[in-house]
Amino acid sequence: MVSKRFVAKRLLLLGPVLFGVATVVFAILHLSPGDPAVVIAGERASQDFVEQIRSDLGLNDPLWQQYLRFLHDTVTLDFGQSYQVRQGSDVSEILADRLPITIELAVLGQIAGLLFGLPLGIISAVKKDTLTDHFSRIGALTGISVPIYWSGPLLILLFAQILGVLPTSGRIGSTYFIDSTTGFILVDTLLAGDMAAFQSAARHLLMPVLVLGIYSMAFISRMMRSSMLEVVRQDYMRTARAKGQGAKTTIMKHGLRNAFIPVITIIGIQFGSMLGGSVLTETVFEINGIGTLLVSAIHGSDYPVVQATVLVFAFMYTLVNLFVDITYSILDPRIDQ
Amino acid sequence: MAGCLGGDSDSGGTLRYGRSSHSDTLDPQRTTSGEVSKVTNQIYDGLIDFEPGEAAITESLATDWSMDGVDVTIELRDDAQFDDGTDFTADDFVATYRRFVDEDYDYYFEDASAYGPFTLGNWIESVEADGDHSLNITLNDPYAPFLRNLAMFAAVVLSKEDIENDFDFNADANGTGPFQLEELDNSNGRILLTPNDNYWGDGPNVEQLLFLERGQNSTRTQALVEGELEIIDNLAPENIGSVEDSDAAEIQSGEGINIGYMSFNQSRVEAFRDARVRQAISYAIDTESIVNEVYSGIAEQADQPCPPALFGHNDDLSPYAYDPDQAESLLEEAGYGDGFSFELTTFQNARGYNPAPSSTAETIRTNLGDIGIDVTIDERPFSDYLTYTSDGKHDASLAGWYTDNADPDNFYYVLLHPQVESPDGQDWVDWSTEGYNTSNRAAWANQEFMDRVEEAQQTADQDERANLYHEAAQIAHDEAPWVYIDYADEIRGVRNTVSNYDVSAIGGPHLHIVELE
Repeated sequence: MVSKRFVAKRLLLLGPVLFGVATVVFAILHLSPGDPAVVIAGERASQDFVEQIRSDLGLNDPLWQQYLRFLHDTVTLDFGQSYQVRQGSDVSEILADRLPITIELAVLGQIAGLLFGLPLGIISAVKKDTLTDHFSRIGALTGISVPIYWSGPLLILLFAQILGVLPTSGRIGSTYFIDSTTGFILVDTLLAGDMAAFQSAARHLLMPVLVLGIYSMAFISRMMRSSMLEVVRQDYMRTARAKGQGAKTTIMKHGLRNAFIPVITIIGIQFGSMLGGSVLTETVFEINGIGTLLVSAIHGSDYPVVQATVLVFAFMYTLVNLFVDITYSILDPRIDQ
Repeated sequence: MAGCLGGDSDSGGTLRYGRSSHSDTLDPQRTTSGEVSKVTNQIYDGLIDFEPGEAAITESLATDWSMDGVDVTIELRDDAQFDDGTDFTADDFVATYRRFVDEDYDYYFEDASAYGPFTLGNWIESVEADGDHSLNITLNDPYAPFLRNLAMFAAVVLSKEDIENDFDFNADANGTGPFQLEELDNSNGRILLTPNDNYWGDGPNVEQLLFLERGQNSTRTQALVEGELEIIDNLAPENIGSVEDSDAAEIQSGEGINIGYMSFNQSRVEAFRDARVRQAISYAIDTESIVNEVYSGIAEQADQPCPPALFGHNDDLSPYAYDPDQAESLLEEAGYGDGFSFELTTFQNARGYNPAPSSTAETIRTNLGDIGIDVTIDERPFSDYLTYTSDGKHDASLAGWYTDNADPDNFYYVLLHPQVESPDGQDWVDWSTEGYNTSNRAAWANQEFMDRVEEAQQTADQDERANLYHEAAQIAHDEAPWVYIDYADEIRGVRNTVSNYDVSAIGGPHLHIVELE
């Protein structure tokens, strides 16, 4: 079992990590060019007007004061109001709208990656050095090498423009309006009992999930293959076979569990890059998740939104890593905590 | 509201308007963004409106008005109601005005946009209701463009009851206009409007009006061609062809009220203080090929600050011809025969008045290289560009302007008047001068020009004003504080099923009169 001390220690580490991230984001934002007051005021504003906004936002205060205020607000989970992206709305409200969109995408992408990556890796290992193995390895290498901003438009070209079977962008057909209960569109459409809307949402999600999935699949299948090959050579596998157990049973019963251990780590790291990949995927498919939120907030010098979004990214990444470590020690109790 | 409002590609009675970005607020007093006004103009009415597709003003909540010096009297209609059923009265306008600019008002809006002072606050002394359906407004000084300011989107009328009861104008709306807010879907960049049953005027002629964000130009164009959208705006030159090739949609264009230009910052670069240098550069830049090739012909060559759609445009002027020889001899005369160098600040993404900023800057660099002037291009993201140029850090910058109120003053006074005294014997001011109008990115302060623009502001007679502006245009043309580049057309992609849609450069879009087959 996982010791409570281990989890507590890891959770405590979250503090310094988030503090570090917050400091770096604050520094980068405030050292980079672009004055939010000018952006908010727009081209029609007089100097006085800009100055007024600057002082209202406290941008004239010494940097260390702004920094302390920012730390205080962050600790009290007060992310303030958006300057630009959705003027005057609470940042926490914006994140509550946007975050589920990205999580849904990343989770589905990860599931797609696992669904295809794991079997591919296992088959590849079992049929080592056969034609199947070569094909799957080339496939994996291609998947890793192809950037999302290339594979995305390519899929759009094929499925939306040439074949015309899938929509190019957005999350749901323009005429479906579904109450947002969970923020996950597949769940919300089901809760609303609207199958046509569910289908529309599923069709919209297919390509972005595929793009994220390809990338993740490639990684997972490569890892699964090498890990499986490692395991197959172990003594206990030979023993199992010697007992007269069938090849299939041996692999499923003894091989898989052991081979999973390193793969789990990869899945954790993968989930992090899923979040990063979501920035690109959301941009290509015009999905309003936190990836696109971050990009437009940076363009608009929307400090509160940038700060909160980056913190959320860091928080999720750290949490997923913790979760991975816990799973890891459950799968292999020998691992020293 | 949950449920299905029709299939993915069948419009029914729904007019779908595709645009490049979603509204960041629904509060007309919070923003200067045209993306917001497209939606709020459907829900709210101003006292005065712009004619569809024209720069002329027409009645809206006001039925009659008169302006005599500083006294403005406005008669209001008595049959207008807000979406929530309350009657519109003069008190609503008074409260709207006070929320926008009056800091002593209990319900003053702290986050009011720059349009507060720009359109109303700077000019108005007082606003009083005279009974329920009449308003008396007193101005600080005679100000001819005032009525047009009342037609601007930021001056639309909110309900007094809402203002004094903490209504969430940011995410909700209650106006006297043709449509009412049905759904604001920020997660998917959509806003759904339905007809306002209480609307006093004709229309709307559609059951629903849907605004949809489609950020990428190519996606938006594709969606129009495939019948997922009825109207799209903000088209890039390279997307026009695919609409023209389609049997189901067409390009509609209208005369724009904007200008794209390059400003010389005379506060920073000494060479620019010599008119001959500015003229030389104006001759050296091939604006004809910028307009025809770089902008694919969706713009006309410019020759003065005010675009041809407005009465302040002087028709007798013509663009500086592309003439490198003339340019070289002027430079020689000015003592810069060996050339000099400067940095040209520009922005990354296309704007309506400049559909291709990078290529424009590159053309300028090449053209000026030919006459010995060494240009370095300094390209920035728009927000950074705005900060940098409003701080006056640029040597020269590409810039542009869309009109706010379709009045010549909005170009001459806003963009080229320093709004401070011009120092004796020089026609430029130092950027750091207290109160300097930083929208004048040229730091130009020509007394003869300023006199005419100020006089025009206070002149009621339109012909007299026109004459003053024509003289100002001549000065601005000859003195060349800018290189006049282009006036861009307003371009929309429209499905064949849409009729009675007018491409408006100001006000609107008047979507309540649009009909769908």
